[in-house]
Amino acid sequence: MKCGSMDWDAAVTWTANGTDIDDSRLNGSYLVLRNVDLMQSGQYSCYEGSSWHLKYQTYLRVGTPPKEPVLMCRSNNYPKGFYCSWHLPSPTYIPNSFNISVIHGTREMVCEKDIFPKNRCHIRYLQLFSTVKYKVTLTVTNALGKNSTTLTFDEFTIVKPDPPENVVAKPVPNNPRRLEVAWQNPSSWPDPESFPLKFFLRYRPLILDQWQHVELSDGTSHTITDAYAGKEYIIQVAAKDNDIGTWSDWSVAVHATPWMEEPKHLTTEAQVTETTSTSTSSFMPPPTTKICDKGAVVGSGAVAVCWTAGLVLAAYGVLFI
Amino acid sequence: MAAAETPSAALRRRDLCSRGIRLARKMRSDVADLLDAYVERQGLDASASVAALDGVPAAAAERWGEQTESQRLLDNLAAYRAFRALLTEMLEEQREQAAPADAALREALAAVLLQVSAFAYHLEELLRLESRGPPGEEGAGPPAGPRLGLFERKLRGLGVLRELAQWAVRSTRDLRQLAKPGPGGGGGGAAAPAGPAEGQ
Repeated sequence: MKCGSMDWDAAVTWTANGTDIDDSRLNGSYLVLRNVDLMQSGQYSCYEGSSWHLKYQTYLRVGTPPKEPVLMCRSNNYPKGFYCSWHLPSPTYIPNSFNISVIHGTREMVCEKDIFPKNRCHIRYLQLFSTVKYKVTLTVTNALGKNSTTLTFDEFTIVKPDPPENVVAKPVPNNPRRLEVAWQNPSSWPDPESFPLKFFLRYRPLILDQWQHVELSDGTSHTITDAYAGKEYIIQVAAKDNDIGTWSDWSVAVHATPWMEEPKHLTTEAQVTETTSTSTSSFMPPPTTKICDKGAVVGSGAVAVCWTAGLVLAAYGVLFI
Repeated sequence: MAAAETPSAALRRRDLCSRGIRLARKMRSDVADLLDAYVERQGLDASASVAALDGVPAAAAERWGEQTESQRLLDNLAAYRAFRALLTEMLEEQREQAAPADAALREALAAVLLQVSAFAYHLEELLRLESRGPPGEEGAGPPAGPRLGLFERKLRGLGVLRELAQWAVRSTRDLRQLAKPGPGGGGGGAAAPAGPAEGQ
């Protein structure tokens, strides 16, 4: 760096961010920086010899040329249009400018940049059902160089709705194995009547890792009928256009537990022996799975003794002692 | 345009549209499989670009959302009648080549041709319901052009199947528009909800 209009052999002092720079880095009055790295960014000043008059000042920004940018295009509002968004895989530390071009056949299309975020722009479809591919080229340029990337795709392949919204899951009264799930179309999908979505629902009890899946070709609700009684479930829904494109990301997860019967009070043996009245509401087994299978004793002619029945008999027996 | 639809006509139209949608979706699935087989058997590159072809109805539509119901039906019918002729021609060419290994391809082509014919008939039924009646078929086949070389014929076949696949999706959408109740329902000519290119 030259110290303004100072002669090569003038006596000068250079500073970086207010700190004096050693004379070993000078070539006459020139400052020479070798193997520049990011740490050397900052304000550089040059002062004349003993007077300390400021002769030159500059801000040095150390950066890198841009790497190949990452570009993505998607239609979450088919058939209105699609958007493309981009980012750099690593920062350059200096300002970059981005230029995007969208070509469809011989036609160049306008990509309207979003105010926020700045790395996104929208394209309106001028045609639907075209076999001609779209070619999107993004070029990033900075003071040290430029780089670009190109995406080529069909109209249908980039269609991916946003996830369903307002997913709600509720227990079904008096039914310990059911959960009612309802959701709404993503608000960004402009015309679900003409371009209906289908849905994929997944659910599992929190205590298990394995998901159950259900694909639904219409409607925005579903009743799960095989939930484990009393277990909390996690439920998510995804959406896809009925005919084209790919599945959305999963919706926000919701939790629900199937309806459970209110637990009745257990009457202990001690309480039963204290009472002299003939109470008949002494013992009800909890709503757990029966121990014996009804089907196994049909036609046997023998008395089927299930555990729960045996306990009831014992309780009543104690009552009447 | 036509007067308000009777309830039975409305029911018939919705039924025809539903069945048509199922036909179109099945056709699309079979055309997709046929396309894969065709590309493989003909030794083509699946990503090869094919320029616009004479006589092959392009599915691409500007202002699709603004089309009237009659326009949709007539465009669809014209397209599938053209595809019927194009696929018949492709089948004949395949038979001339007569490689035994291509028998499966010929069968698949014949099956899709059958579906295209059925769909064209379905559209004619819908047009009759519109009290328009289907237009007469002009000419027996695709326009006669210069005899193409083998590779050019293969590329043309690729183009035909690609456009047919797009048409199958477009027809599904068109029939859904037709099936919708509303001010334009019942054979009216009201425009469908605006699609792309609004304000253009």
